[in-house]
Amino acid sequence: MQRSRILLVDDETAITANLAPFLERAGFEVAVASDGEQALHQVAEFVPDLVVMDVLMPHLDGRETLRRLRQQDNWTPIILLTQVGEAVERAMALEEGADDYLNKPFDPHELVARIRAVLRRTRPGQPTLASAERLNSGLLKLERRSRRAWLEGKELALTPKAMALLEYMMTHPDELVSRERLLEAVWGWDYPIGTRAVDTRIAELRRILSDDAEFPVYIETIPGQGYRFIGQVEPAS
Amino acid sequence: MNERWEKTRWLLPLVILVLGLGLSLLVRFATRQNPVLYLRADLATLILLAGVVLTILGYAAMWINSQFKQQRQRLTSQATVDRMRFIRRLDHELKNPLTAIRAGLANISEALDANSRDQALLTVEAQALRLSRLAADLRKLAELETRPLEQASIDVTTLLQEAFDLARESANEHKFFLNIPQAPWPLPKISGDPDLLFLALHNLLENAVKFTSPGDTVEIRAFEDGNTVVIEVADTGLGIPEQELSHVWEELYRGHDARGIPGSGLGLALVRAVIERHGGWVSLRSRVGQGSVFTLRLPVG
Repeated sequence: MQRSRILLVDDETAITANLAPFLERAGFEVAVASDGEQALHQVAEFVPDLVVMDVLMPHLDGRETLRRLRQQDNWTPIILLTQVGEAVERAMALEEGADDYLNKPFDPHELVARIRAVLRRTRPGQPTLASAERLNSGLLKLERRSRRAWLEGKELALTPKAMALLEYMMTHPDELVSRERLLEAVWGWDYPIGTRAVDTRIAELRRILSDDAEFPVYIETIPGQGYRFIGQVEPAS
Repeated sequence: MNERWEKTRWLLPLVILVLGLGLSLLVRFATRQNPVLYLRADLATLILLAGVVLTILGYAAMWINSQFKQQRQRLTSQATVDRMRFIRRLDHELKNPLTAIRAGLANISEALDANSRDQALLTVEAQALRLSRLAADLRKLAELETRPLEQASIDVTTLLQEAFDLARESANEHKFFLNIPQAPWPLPKISGDPDLLFLALHNLLENAVKFTSPGDTVEIRAFEDGNTVVIEVADTGLGIPEQELSHVWEELYRGHDARGIPGSGLGLALVRAVIERHGGWVSLRSRVGQGSVFTLRLPVG
């Protein structure tokens, strides 16, 4: 099997110098860029299967680089490394079509797990669900920009947290998502007490979606591990 | 010069007043035969009086303004003191794990056998995690100021019960008591972010367990008081010396007896930030050797 090619973009050489060999040992072929401009150049030259990119960089920051790539119809999956982990920044990462994100400081093993998960669900050259404005799953519709959702044509009353949770689950379908991962991605905080917060919100979401936990159509519980969105998700225009 | 003016300027309206009144009496005396001129003198006296009153009002306004300025200066200097204290404490919190990491790295590069190298690796990893936790907690504190607060209707009884159950699971050698009124009516609902409030309660309970020994008692009680819900977490632990009471809610503060106990030093600061963000306030009573009572007050609604 051919090794997947990863482009690692960060202006902090202490990070790239240690992460690159780590990713290579994990079985990837790695190239490094130190800012957005170099990254755009490398995307064209090295043609990576996935880009791991820091947000805060000199010259061209990660967010702008991502925007430019998408404008060029380049759908290479991107994992953003955020520095501040503010809720706003994460929501923007989703809106602009980042496929996943990790808060610094992170465990490098977690990065490898994220890379593998994103690579598994992307089809080369195709826009990913992460960059779709509207998502459909059966009778469930989600409009991401306006943050509204409908079930059988009826609009759902979701709290902002429940909406963010649904959005994350729907953009990562058929993927086992741990509670810790949901906390980091949706809450942005690594609560020491997280499981309870996640379980409460999933229960809220299920109630609103009339999804039976025993026989789920949308969100399945994987005992002791986390949750999985089992509905078929399609991007809609 | 300026100072003397500050002290003596109050005399100015008085001098004007006395001179003016004297002058007006003189004029009145001189014009007592002519009614028109006499009235005009009266008018002049009135205008003079109005001028004096305005001068005094102007001075009063200046005085009030200068009081405010002093108040502002006091606040700014307090903020500077707080900031310096925070930086000193942060420096201290960073120093220890970094020293351990550097020592660990030196051991790794000079290790003669695999065993001592593994030992050093474990130290470095643990200390790096400690720094990560500190960074995460600092970020939470910073975000608490700005992140939008969810306004859900929260059943305090359920929230307390859940926090209580979690604490009891984690420390089964402590005696736990939960005291929530049911009659004649249950606790009123409060509005806010359930995850943040749960975090605050969890931190308080974790703290109570940390500063007590197995066999000690931790009690949660709640009651309604006017328009607030009062939540108390009481323990029969070490207690906090009086001179430390006002500091324990501060960021990165560590009490004298708390030095040996692990923690980021931000747990109670987070509790306070969460409660204040919800329009409530926190307080603390304690006796050394007997225990402490941490009190949270949250507005009903």
